[in-house]
Amino acid sequence: MRREAFWRDPAILVYPAIAFLVIGFVIPLTWFFVATLSEIGGPSAILGQVVSIASSRAVVSALITTNWIALLVTALTLLAGYPIAYYLSTGNRLRFTLVLFCIVVPYFTSVIVRTYSWMVLLGRNGVINQALLSLGVIDAPLPLLYNKLGVVIGMTYVLLPYMILTLYAAMKAIDPSYMRAGLALGASRTYAFRRIYLPLSAHGAISGSLIVFILAIGFFITPALMGGPSDVMIAMLIERSVEIMLDWQGAAIMSLLLLALTLVLFAIYYRVTDVRRMMGA
Amino acid sequence: MKPIRNRGFNRRQILGGLAGTSVAMPYFWAGRANAATQLAVRTPGGAYDEVKKETVYEPFRKATGIEIVPVAATVAKLLAMHRSGQMEVDLIDTGDDVLLQLHVAGALMPIDEKAFKRTNLEDIEASVRHKTFIGCFNYAMVMGYHTAAYPKGKEPKSWAEFWDIKTFPGPRTLADMASGAPDIEFALLADGVPMDKLYPLDIDRAFKSLSKVRPAITKFWDTGALSAQMLADKEVVLGGLWSTRLMVAIEKGAPLGVQWNQNAVLGQAYGVPVGGRNTEAAWAFIDFSLQPEIQSAWLKPYNGIPVNQKAYADTSPNLIDPDTKLPWTKSKGYVRDINWWSENRAKVNTAWSRWIAQ
Repeated sequence: MRREAFWRDPAILVYPAIAFLVIGFVIPLTWFFVATLSEIGGPSAILGQVVSIASSRAVVSALITTNWIALLVTALTLLAGYPIAYYLSTGNRLRFTLVLFCIVVPYFTSVIVRTYSWMVLLGRNGVINQALLSLGVIDAPLPLLYNKLGVVIGMTYVLLPYMILTLYAAMKAIDPSYMRAGLALGASRTYAFRRIYLPLSAHGAISGSLIVFILAIGFFITPALMGGPSDVMIAMLIERSVEIMLDWQGAAIMSLLLLALTLVLFAIYYRVTDVRRMMGA
Repeated sequence: MKPIRNRGFNRRQILGGLAGTSVAMPYFWAGRANAATQLAVRTPGGAYDEVKKETVYEPFRKATGIEIVPVAATVAKLLAMHRSGQMEVDLIDTGDDVLLQLHVAGALMPIDEKAFKRTNLEDIEASVRHKTFIGCFNYAMVMGYHTAAYPKGKEPKSWAEFWDIKTFPGPRTLADMASGAPDIEFALLADGVPMDKLYPLDIDRAFKSLSKVRPAITKFWDTGALSAQMLADKEVVLGGLWSTRLMVAIEKGAPLGVQWNQNAVLGQAYGVPVGGRNTEAAWAFIDFSLQPEIQSAWLKPYNGIPVNQKAYADTSPNLIDPDTKLPWTKSKGYVRDINWWSENRAKVNTAWSRWIAQ
């Protein structure tokens, strides 16, 4: 009888996905950390190593750079994404399809190609500088590439859709009659927006920001290609430890730090986001 | 709403499915080279394989019936394969510094001298013959310049001049730590250390010297492709980069020039991994590709310098110093000491991280 109930529970549909996640992600990851860290020695030796790596100049400055860039990118995607998501949620079907098409289609292109395209645009002799120079707007090329600005532009572009789609889901759930009611009761448009729409869309903004931030702190290709000498993000440091230094223990510890940071943020994300509401239930 | 009535799977179906999967499993791994007719070779890929396919791989297939299957793998991946006891390549074609790392890890077989039938090992330069790996060509880290910024003859002629950012203004690039080794030798040369007194490198002095050129460095490159691209796009007008990359860009029509003075000679080499499934064919391929005729056929279009002394006479004219009639690597270069790098890379990495965060 109990077995019968097991097979009838629709939750069974989720088990393959969970099994896949456990076999393909949780087990290898755990195994990797255990195998690499146990080479260092006992718990106190591992702790000593973690502390010495986490406090090393390279890691500290990479963590500061990583968080700072991720913060800037999150703020920019929110600023740019909010109006776009609003436009999407209020528009008709055609407008929605067109805009969404423009946002989603570039995602079928590899991130390397898109990063190189930005490099063509932003370079010293790139399209933007050439255009501004020939128009006489500037006398010398603007430094748009191979610095933090370049990294932020590139990453904002890559991460913008995550923000837009999260915001869109939140905004679509806002009943338009609330705004109409506010206006009918004599509120100005800005007042109604500030008191009704903004608070109702806030959880979408927080979820979107967290997901963008979480993705941004693990970025590698864009900062490696578009950044300047000192724009070293933690993922670049991990890659160098693995590939060049063959220091896998160091890389494992840095990955652990990054994973811990991500999990903390994800816990916040989980608390803030009403997952059921996002699924439309 | 009525509850969904799912029929569910019965135990027999699931067991059947599992059995089917386990039967099918080996086919997922069957993509590996067939040992008798194929040789899985780790190569740098790209233009390198394009040239080698016609000049080495095809002739080898005609001579032996063995097909070369190029495989991409980084040193970390090769080391991981070695450690897990699942070596997926039969031959490794990469930088000699990388092969030295693999040698230290015990991942390479000793050179099987008896396997050399077409190539006379005595003809191979002694400096590129190691216990477990053998050079296949040399190239160099050279100074490249954009001819729109510096017409030929007006470019910096030494690393001291490259470091002189007042007399020779313009953005520059040099190698990043992430490329394997930053150009601290050039920094020392610029600071007045003679070419034959470089090693052991004075790391502190090198980074002090590197600080002087840093204001003019747009970006330190981590991949060879980026270095040539930045120079061709005029993102930088001067750079230290690989001669092979620079030559490919020049041949594609980029307005770039090479300054060979004080070049760092680098080596590409072959090593046979422990646990490869086709070691015999791997030695046969090394033997085949080091013959003088094959060396010339491949390295002339690729602008690499042969390691077989019998092939010197037929080297690409781009690589010959007209004054001495010797390859530029011999007339104006010094050999990068891979042993020093192997022992000191961690120290340089720490110093680099500290310096770059300044």
